[in-house]
Amino acid sequence: MSSLKRHEGYLIVDHSASPGLPADVARQSGYDPRHCGEGRVFEAATLTCSHCKCTVVKNPLRTRDRTYCSKCDHYLCDVCAMATAQADYVHVPFEQLAEAVLRHAEKSAESPIVLLSP
Amino acid sequence: MSKRIFQAASFTPTATADGSALASATYMSLEAASATQILNVSEIQCCGQATASAVNIMQFARNLTAATTPTALAAPNGDGPLSGASAALAAPPVTYVAAGAGPQRTNTALTARLNLSFNAFGGIVKWFANRGEEWQIIGTSVSVAPSSLSAFTGGNVGLMGAHIIYEPL
Repeated sequence: MSSLKRHEGYLIVDHSASPGLPADVARQSGYDPRHCGEGRVFEAATLTCSHCKCTVVKNPLRTRDRTYCSKCDHYLCDVCAMATAQADYVHVPFEQLAEAVLRHAEKSAESPIVLLSP
Repeated sequence: MSKRIFQAASFTPTATADGSALASATYMSLEAASATQILNVSEIQCCGQATASAVNIMQFARNLTAATTPTALAAPNGDGPLSGASAALAAPPVTYVAAGAGPQRTNTALTARLNLSFNAFGGIVKWFANRGEEWQIIGTSVSVAPSSLSAFTGGNVGLMGAHIIYEPL
């Protein structure tokens, strides 16, 4: 398995010339509050979930397992990770959802599109 | 196709709850031109322009409800190709900051949203996607495709500018 770091995005929140964010807002946004105050710069890797394309800020201090989908060779967000644990789960990567939407759109441009849950 | 930049020079977002229509000139919204067009969003930057401390809880999220009658962009806002050599698109994506009825941000847990909170008094927030990991807008179905940058409930929002770099496929 090649390194999953190749999937990482990059986030920078620069408050070097700003009062910064309150700790509660920083936590709500997935940032480390210690690096979001006045005069601080917060940099973090981001991960894009292969099932819903949600982007999450990577917490380097996380101790719980980060769910990995072997079919996608990609990390999942916690919401999709929970869905994969359900008994009736069917694997639907975002690309499959995209293909279904496009195929349906091409076949019936006028009719409403049926959405699949990612 | 070539990458494009959708930018709003200066606007003050309004803290708006999920599932509520966004007021004109408080958001930036991006939609595919057709049911088969794909847009890859690779970079989002928000720069604070406020003259006093103002927490902007910005979110780039799917639209739960599409806008009706989007208003064409007018200067100083704009949307154009990164490369001056790019040919004009036959079906340019729909980018707008105002509409007859604004879009509504998704309120469902299984649709994507990117949190870009920052202090608009001198703060800057910037997100880059890795290649192949871009935020995708596919077709025009709500909760799958159209996406907007807007302020979530909370904070005391201040003036800001922003740009979104994306590529139509």
